[in-house]
Amino acid sequence: RKEVLDLTKGFRGSSSKLYRTAQQRTIKALTNSYKDRKIKKREFVKIWVSRINAAVRLSGLNYSNFQNQLKTSKILLNRKICSQIALQDKESFDKLLDFIKI
Amino acid sequence: MAGRPVLRGLVTEGLRFRVVDAKGQVVGRLASQIAKVLTGKDKPTYLPHVDGGDAVVVVNAAQVDFTGRKWDQKLYRWHTGYPGGLKERTARDQLAREPEAVLQKAVMGMLPKNNMRRAMARKLRIFAGPEHGLEGKVELVPLDMPPRALRVKGPVLELEEGFEPFNPEAYYKRFGHRLAAAKAGQ
Repeated sequence: RKEVLDLTKGFRGSSSKLYRTAQQRTIKALTNSYKDRKIKKREFVKIWVSRINAAVRLSGLNYSNFQNQLKTSKILLNRKICSQIALQDKESFDKLLDFIKI
Repeated sequence: MAGRPVLRGLVTEGLRFRVVDAKGQVVGRLASQIAKVLTGKDKPTYLPHVDGGDAVVVVNAAQVDFTGRKWDQKLYRWHTGYPGGLKERTARDQLAREPEAVLQKAVMGMLPKNNMRRAMARKLRIFAGPEHGLEGKVELVPLDMPPRALRVKGPVLELEEGFEPFNPEAYYKRFGHRLAAAKAGQ
């Protein structure tokens, strides 16, 4: 019992005080956090893709062609790294694009 | 929409102001590009929960264009809330009454429908005429539209040598984009 009520600190109203409602809310909360740990990974990929798309379009490419050329030149960098490079180190990103285009 | 003064309601001077001339542009295509800039999707610093887009100033909004027969066929509909109060108005009339609304509605429909939508919409300033009141107040950056890739619809016409149409003006207007010579040069 104590375990459950400790987990519900900060919940609204009776969910943090009464055991029965608290039980229901904790089950919901834990299921959500389980799901969202998996969803979080997807959300980040979305952000990286948008960023790479934006960065690459400045050089006249688009995201799909960029990925295609990346694969054919056998560079195994993932999207996270590509987006970070595009963000922080523009020169290296330009060199990457040149390397791929050839 | 602009109030007077034009820049009311905008926060942070970290904004870039991009200017577009809407003269002769197609509404939907222009609107989609504008929406992209307003959301910040053309920057590698894009984040979906933060409003990182640029402000856009549109000029000559009364001279946008629709393709096809949309000027007569496209209807703007709204309900007044009273029974039997469904009203509609064609695009041509809308342009006559309130020209900025044509582009405004188009862009609003293309922005993501979330809590940030209003803030993004506030960064869009549309002017029906060729002047905007912002010279000298802020630094203006031009917004370039990507070139429009028009598809040749219909079969390509191969004409014999020495073919002269009776009415060249009407002929080329109707078939010009389908002629073999034009397509080769495209």
